[in-house]
Formats: sequence, C-alpha cells, structure tokens
Amino acid sequence: MDDTAGTAPGGGFDPRQAAALLDKSTRQARRAFTPLTPLLLTFRAVVALVVFGGCWLSVRGQHPYTGHISSWAIAVAVVLVVINIGWTAWLIGRAGTGVSGPAQRRWQAWTGIMAAAWIIGYAITAPEWHAGSGHPTWGLYPASAPLLIIGLAGAAIAAAFRYWLLAGTALAIAAAAAAAGFGGPAGSWLILGIGLCAVFLGAAAFTAWRQRRNTVRP
Amino acid sequence: MTAELDPLIHVPTRLRIVATLAALPDGDALSFTRLQDMLGLTPGNLIIQLRKLEEAGYISRTKTRNGSAQKTMVTLTSLGRAALRAYTRALRDLLGGLDIDAPSPGNTVDEISAERMRS
Repeated sequence: MDDTAGTAPGGGFDPRQAAALLDKSTRQARRAFTPLTPLLLTFRAVVALVVFGGCWLSVRGQHPYTGHISSWAIAVAVVLVVINIGWTAWLIGRAGTGVSGPAQRRWQAWTGIMAAAWIIGYAITAPEWHAGSGHPTWGLYPASAPLLIIGLAGAAIAAAFRYWLLAGTALAIAAAAAAAGFGGPAGSWLILGIGLCAVFLGAAAFTAWRQRRNTVRP
Repeated sequence: MTAELDPLIHVPTRLRIVATLAALPDGDALSFTRLQDMLGLTPGNLIIQLRKLEEAGYISRTKTRNGSAQKTMVTLTSLGRAALRAYTRALRDLLGGLDIDAPSPGNTVDEISAERMRS
C-alpha cells in the first residue's frame, strides 16, 4: 500500500476515513496481540461445563455415595484439557511472535507461574488418591480445593502484575470454587461447572468488548 | 478553532503503523518482519515510512545480529504515543458535530473544517 491509498482528490486524507482506519487498525492489532482470545475463553467455558458436568453426572445417582467418576467422563475431560492446553500454547506463541520488551517478559513469567500453579494445585490431590481418602471428603475436595488455591494464587499474582482482567477472573474462579464447597459431594461438581462456565463467558464477553471498542468513533 | 492533524501521522500507511505499535504495552518492541506481515506492506515501503517516523522521533529502531541473521525491532516512543493521542483528540474534535458515519467522498481536511464551521 502506498501513501496515496485511501486519500481524497487533492492529496487530502479524509478525517472520517482516517478515524475508520485508526479504529480498524487498532482493533486488528489488539486482536493480534491478545493471547487469550474470546473464542478460547468461550471454549474454556464449554470445557468447564462438560468436564465438571460429566463428573456430576457420574456421581449424582450414587447411593451410597462412592465418589467414583466414570471412565468416559475422565476420558472426555482429558481430551478437552489437552485441546485447551495445546490451543492456549499456540495462541500465546502466535500473539508473542516478534514481540519483545518488559511487558512481554512479564507475560512469559506470568504464564510460567500459572502453569506451575495449575500443576501444583492438582498435584496436591495425588496423595488423596493414593491414600484412598474417604469418599465424602474425596467428592467434595477435588472439586473445590485445587481451584480455590489456583484462583487465589492467580488473583494475587495477576494483581501484582497489574493484569486486572486476569485478577478478576482468577478471583471469580476462587469464588466459584468456594461456593462449590457448600454443594455437597456430588453437587459441588455441578456448582463448579456452572460457576466456571459463567466466569469464562464473562471474561470472553469483556475481552471481546475491549478488543472491539473504538478509539475515535463512539 | 480548527483541530490540526499531525501531517506525519495523517497518512494511511503511517497511521496503520503507529496504531499497530500503540497496541503493544509501553516499551515493548515489534520485529520488522511481524509488522510487515501484519500490515501487508512491502519491505521497501515499510522502511521508507519507518524512516520518516524515526526522523520525527515517533519510533525507534534497534538492530540485533544473531550470527548471520539481522533482526530489526521497532518501538513506538513516548513522543510517538503522545503524538497519536493528540492526533486522536484532533480527529475527535474535527469530527465532532458531524455525522461521522455519513459517506464523505472526496472531502479534504479543509473541506471538513469548512463544513464544521458552517454547521
């Protein structure tokens, strides 16, 4: 494209065209540099609903309650989580291609810390599995405790990094996990699924709004 | 009083360059290759536009060499950010009172200003 593209006769560049071009270019750049896209966040909402909903479907009819989650629910969860991790890694790589500087280094540190938090948050449940803890405890604990820890840690770290949307999202995840703790062994899965779905949909809507808002035109 | 648009930014290609770089956090740099890909410009055209912006102090370029490959990183300076903010304000002022969604084929900056004076 040369300098004359989009210009009016006489070499003047129409301010209305300039406003439209500025808004469009800004929106395109925001989309290109945003790693956590609205589509990914919407997918995470579906994942949360399907994964935790699957757990709830597995345990809701158990009398007496055993806490056993069916293998199909675990298989679906593994597949969706792997897709989520792969897609997230790809989007982060794409958004950060060719970008360097202090903010980019902060973002890389944040992703590393949060990856560790997710691993640690769920790894601490391994001894529970190994010890074969009581079913009522097991039914309640894995639904709420890991995400409570990850959410609170994530909110504190995101606030320290001044990632306010992520801090809000992480805090909302912790709140959903805390609420799930009151749902009983089976109900906690459902509360968490619905809660996380709502949190991710909210984050997706806010991200989409932030990307699309105009710079010049209302 | 008519809002004045910075002539250095008020060019489609340079406006796109500045808007793209402004979407990055303050202090972050973008590689020449990525910028070129995002804007769909030829290397020659991009170099010319970047040179003009650099001469005005709106962007800075740093070159790093990794073996035989040379990498150019482009950053919007604080002066460039301030210039874009001022340009955006000027655009808003200029378009204020006008129906900004109406088609305006062929209007120049002066014609827009005159239209605003009349309204």
